[in-house]
Parts: sequence; C-alpha cells; structure tokens
Amino acid sequence: MSFKIKIASLLPPLLPLILSMGLVETAVRLGWAPSYLIPAPSEVMRSLIDDRVELAVAAWTTLSSALAGLLLSFTTGTLFAIALSSSDLARRAFYPYAVFFQTVPIISIAPLLVIWFGFGQPTVIASAAIVSVFPIIASTLLGLKSTEPALIDLFTLYSASARQMLYMLKIPFASPQIFSGLRIASGLAVVGAIVGEFIGGGGLGSVVDSARTQQRIDRVFAAVLISALLGAVLVGAVNLISALTLGSWHTSERKAT
Amino acid sequence: MKLLLGFVLMFFSAAAASGAQAAKLQLALNWKAEPEFGGFYAAKLSGYFQKRNLDVAITEGGAGTPVVQMVANSKVRFGIAAADEVVISQARGTDVVALFAVYQINPQGIMVHPERGFNSIADVFNAPGTLAIQSGSPHALFLQSQFPRYKVTLVPYAGGVATFLVDANYSQQCFVTSEPLIARRKGKPTQSFLIADTGFKPYGTVVIARRQYVEKNQKETRDLIDAVREGWIEYLRAPDKANNTMVKLNPAMDAVSMKEAAEVQKLFIIDAGAPTQELGKMTMERWRTLVNQLYDLKLIKNKPAAEKLFQNF
Repeated sequence: MSFKIKIASLLPPLLPLILSMGLVETAVRLGWAPSYLIPAPSEVMRSLIDDRVELAVAAWTTLSSALAGLLLSFTTGTLFAIALSSSDLARRAFYPYAVFFQTVPIISIAPLLVIWFGFGQPTVIASAAIVSVFPIIASTLLGLKSTEPALIDLFTLYSASARQMLYMLKIPFASPQIFSGLRIASGLAVVGAIVGEFIGGGGLGSVVDSARTQQRIDRVFAAVLISALLGAVLVGAVNLISALTLGSWHTSERKAT
Repeated sequence: MKLLLGFVLMFFSAAAASGAQAAKLQLALNWKAEPEFGGFYAAKLSGYFQKRNLDVAITEGGAGTPVVQMVANSKVRFGIAAADEVVISQARGTDVVALFAVYQINPQGIMVHPERGFNSIADVFNAPGTLAIQSGSPHALFLQSQFPRYKVTLVPYAGGVATFLVDANYSQQCFVTSEPLIARRKGKPTQSFLIADTGFKPYGTVVIARRQYVEKNQKETRDLIDAVREGWIEYLRAPDKANNTMVKLNPAMDAVSMKEAAEVQKLFIIDAGAPTQELGKMTMERWRTLVNQLYDLKLIKNKPAAEKLFQNF
C-alpha cells in the first residue's frame, strides 16, 4: 500500500519533468532547436556521466563552501537578530544596514572579496554568507518579535530573567520562523558559493565558467543541475532538522492524523 | 520664385538619393569600447557605414558576453570574437564565419611584475605565485599543455588590473595593448609576454557573421567590411576622434592610455609599409594550424574545414 502511495505522490512532480525533457529531446533531435543553444537532455546526461569525477569533486567543494557560508550566516544572523530584538533603538539603528545585505549585487562586489580574502575558499564562503544572511536576520527578528504577549506577561509574572525569557520562550516560539529563514538561506548559500567561485575559483562555479568559455552548454547544464540538487539537499536537511526539533510540539510540523 | 523651386527640387532629389532605407545592422563587441575596436568607431563616426547606406549600431560587451552564440542565433548580424571561438563554434554545428581580422598578431599576453625577474611565459609557469587566466580558454589550455609541470597557481581572471596593483606575486592575462598601459598609469611598472610567441596564434578581434547571411547578402557584407577597413585605415592614422568617443563610453580607460594603446597596437594590426588593402585579410594556413591546435587540446571533436571558417573581402 505504501509503495502505491509513494508512486502516486511522486507522479505529479515527475510528470512535468519527463514531459518537458521529452519535448526538448525531440526538438533537438528533429533539428527544431540547435544543440548549441539548448542541449538535448541526453547530451547533458552524457556529460554527467563522462565528467562524473570532475563534477563530483566540484560539487563537494561547492557544498562544503556553501555549508560553511550558511553556518557563518546562521550564527552571525541569529546573533544580530537577537541583538536587534532586544531594543527598539538598536533595531532602528541597524536594521537598515541588514537590508543592505539583501540588495547587494554579489557579482559586482565579488572581485573585491578576492582582494580582501584572497583566491580560493575564503572568498567563496564569504560570498555564500553575504547572500544568505538577510533571510536569517529578517525571519529570526520577525519570530522573536511575535511572541504571544500573554506568555510574556506570564514569564514576567514569575519574574523570569531576560536570559530565561530569551532561551525558554522567545527562541522556541520563533523557531518555525528561524527554520523558514534557514530554508531560504540554504538555497541562496549555494548560489552565493557558485558566484564566489566564478571569481575565487574552484567548485561548480569554475566548471560553469570554463564550460561557458568552451561553448559546452551541455556541461553548463550538467553543473547547473547538480547545483540545483545541492540546494535541494540543503533544504531537505533543514526540513529534517526542523521536523526533528519541532515535530513533537509545534503545529507547523505535526502530521495530520 | 525660381530660387525657391530650385531648393524644392534639390530637396526632393536629395530625398530620392537617400530614399532607399539604410540597412539597419548591429555589430556586437565582446568587450568595452577600447582601441582594439577603434576602427569600428572611426567607421561609424566618419560616416563610412553611412555612405554605403548602412546604419550600423555598435554595442559594447563585457566579460562573458556570448557574442558568438548571439550571432549563431541571429540575435545580431555581426559580432566580434577571437578566431578560436569561431572554430569551436563551427565544430559545434554553427555556420559562423570570420570576415575581417583586426589583429594579425594576437595581442593576448601575460603581464607580470618586473621585480620577479621573469624572462618568458615559461618562467611565469615554472615559478610559484598566482596567474589569473580565463579557465578552460584555449590559450590557457595551450599554455598548460606547453608547461605541464607548472608551479604557478591558476586562478580565475576577472578582468581589470585591481588585484595586480595590490599583489606582488600576481600575474595575469592581458591584451599587451591595454592592461599594462592602465597598470602603468596607476603607478605600477609592468612587463608582458606575448602568448603568440609560444606558438598559439589565433587572429584576434575578428568580425564574424553567419555564413547563410553572408551568402545571401554579399553586397551588404562587402560594403560593411569595406567601411570597416576604411575606418581602420583612418584610426591607424588619426585615432583621436574615435578615442574621444570611446573615452566617454568606457571611462575605465583614460584618454592618455587610449592614445598610447592606439599607437602600440599598430604593429599587431599591419606591418609598417604594407598596403592598406591587406588590412584584415586572413590566410588558410593560419586557420588550419589553429584547427589542429584546438583539436590536439581536445576542445573540438571534429575538424571544421579551414576554407569554411573565413572569407576575405
């Protein structure tokens, strides 16, 4: 029974994929679309197989940089949000600068990152952290500010300290928002890492850059496919952690019975 | 009254002469306005396109502008590419052909800090340090194949000279007619070596179009190339007018560097004293060598016929 359900639940997302792939494949094979403009899915598959070692190494490099960047943005972003939530003045003073991180066109400051951090992973991690920090700040701040007033009153009534209030009430209450920020940030961290790699070198960014130079769009697509997969893996990991930590008590993760 | 009639007649005849709508064409550059495109701007500014009834719009490019693909996909009629891009593109199934080569000697080079005491590209590759070079590019792969046990660390090339100015162990690819002049203007002495001297000599800054288009529009193509040649003759003699326009389009390169670059690049474009009608012409031999080199580097799986890669006008 469960197998049947699995097939049934996989069909809706798979069907559009299979249909569109089939369409592109047919279009390229019949010569409606030249293969130097859009590669046939079979060519992308061949590139995935032929270049599997190089792609796997690159994917691992990108994933580790994206993870490091995400960790960095998660720690700094959460701390920043806690600091901002503690005082209205701090929020008014610093929140506008947090918005800066959301709007900074990373590709235009990437060459500067190289000058500051040097070639290689430090630049890539910085790039991943910069593009992924804003959703964490914004969501965490929103979560921390939306604690139910009645519960705050209750904690005050029992003369809880500010620290107790933060750890036992505000952060647990904000965790669904924190996780939703983290979900957005994890996809962005992969994008940030790849952009960083265009300039800093290494990873999937380097593969895309050199494949583009050689007009190998099949390889560009193969690398893009893998980067999408990395994003999905990271989002999946966040979902899993979210389910494990919130599942026992929060409505957002409780299974419908 | 007679006078008025005369004016009216003159007006009508002028209108009739320019009556045929000028053909609107786009020429897509693969970089910002710099002396490597000076002749194109000269052709535009001095009306060499216009007098052949061509209305040519020159558009600037940037790092990674896919000019070859844009031409192959007929998004623009004419573009600028390097000769190796034309070969790779044809090997991948397009009908892009080269029509006019600005640089007979490719000015692509490696720029280094003179303090490092290098005497050749081999020295750069066999010493520790950093070399910024477009990864996967034919010239990078060629150099890597020439110096297989290189010690230098290859890093991505982002354009510009910012890192060169601050990092003493940093070497980078360049057009010897451009970046070294900019770096020197910013107070850094430079030394540069030509990649062509190692044996990799694709034509540089080549005008391209689709073969299908060229065959159908022989006159228009010939007119365009004639205008381009006339523009280059003018630019080689008197670059100031085009430079003044290009400085406004690309403030990253100042007027003095432009003037200097225009002077330096002359030797790469045409031998002193050679007849100007030879400007831009290409030979079968050079294309054949290039095809073989790219094949050996495994950048192409099949060898396009050299005679289909270019057409001289």
